[in-house]
Amino acid sequence: MQEHAATQASEAAHKGFNAGEVIIGHVSNGTEHPLIHLPPVFGIDMSVTKHVFMVWLVSITICVVITAIVSRYVASKRLLPVGAENGLEIIVEFIRDGIARPNVGGKWLMTWTPLLLTFFFFILGANAVGLLPIFDVLGLIDHYFIRAPEHSFLKNLIHGSSTATGNYNVTAGLAVISFFAIAIAGMKAHGFVKHWGNLKPGDHWAHWALVPLEITSMLVRPFALTMRLAANMTGGHIAILAILSFVFIFAEAHSPMLGIGIGIPSTILSAAISGLEIIVVMVQAYVFTLLTAVFIGMAIHAHH
Amino acid sequence: MQEALNMSWAYAGAGIGLGLVVVGAGLGIGKLAAGVAEGVARQPSAAGQISGATNLPLFLLEGVAILAEVFCLLIVLLK
Repeated sequence: MQEHAATQASEAAHKGFNAGEVIIGHVSNGTEHPLIHLPPVFGIDMSVTKHVFMVWLVSITICVVITAIVSRYVASKRLLPVGAENGLEIIVEFIRDGIARPNVGGKWLMTWTPLLLTFFFFILGANAVGLLPIFDVLGLIDHYFIRAPEHSFLKNLIHGSSTATGNYNVTAGLAVISFFAIAIAGMKAHGFVKHWGNLKPGDHWAHWALVPLEITSMLVRPFALTMRLAANMTGGHIAILAILSFVFIFAEAHSPMLGIGIGIPSTILSAAISGLEIIVVMVQAYVFTLLTAVFIGMAIHAHH
Repeated sequence: MQEALNMSWAYAGAGIGLGLVVVGAGLGIGKLAAGVAEGVARQPSAAGQISGATNLPLFLLEGVAILAEVFCLLIVLLK
């Protein structure tokens, strides 16, 4: 037992600190060690990885919390909200009056506000969970107390990134919903065929040249939504991890004392960037919702 | 040897591209911010409307910059 630990320590010491590997490991999904291994369906690996688990966790938490708050308000038959209902009202009014009403307009407001609210709460929740050090604390508890074996559920749960929206597959799913929402909004407002007729913005013969441009923009917008959210989330985490790795890089290259010395400005700087990351989390949720609302509005009010 | 030389061109290209993206984004967002500041200074009562109107182009521009960063990263990671 002591021999094994000694060989492991010397192995780790000889291998050095590969900053790139560690950073990529901390922002990736960990598809090689899924949490629950499921057989592939039609060639697609259906195993539950950490990001799938985080999506479920965030969805269920938000669903339960918001449904509880709203059903308590509805059941109480009071007009004035109490406690948590106040907070919810602030956010709901902000999105309905600040994002939905100026873009979608009065007639279709109540059709599209629930979708926008869902987007906002889910993206905000999924982004924010990435900032909470839940799995780092779990990793500490595991390292000192539980000591789970290498490929167990707990170890796989701790490894990898907990920001589900940092994975472009998750944000691509959200963008696909947005794409269908835009198409359906146009079809509901203008009729099934006339929405696609709106791709040609006017009556002149030269307007036919704009049709490929409109089709391209229709496809590029969800792609941009995807990449914007995923890259913002991943980039913030990579920045924080890179600054924290300075400690280990310097400790490797010179001496542990230099590592500790670098640690003081490094932790302060990474704490400041985490503060910036809080702003980015809220802004990215707002931007996704705002852009979806703008595109839905453009599909509905497509008269030039 | 030739392979390593080609790879170094790829890395240099990605690095220069990333720097150019930052310059472009900085210039664009700076101009937007200057416009907002001037507009609010001329008419402080329209502060809410002006900042609301600049939100959209601001984030579209930021999205373009982030997309470009992602493509630069792809150049480096995907050989």
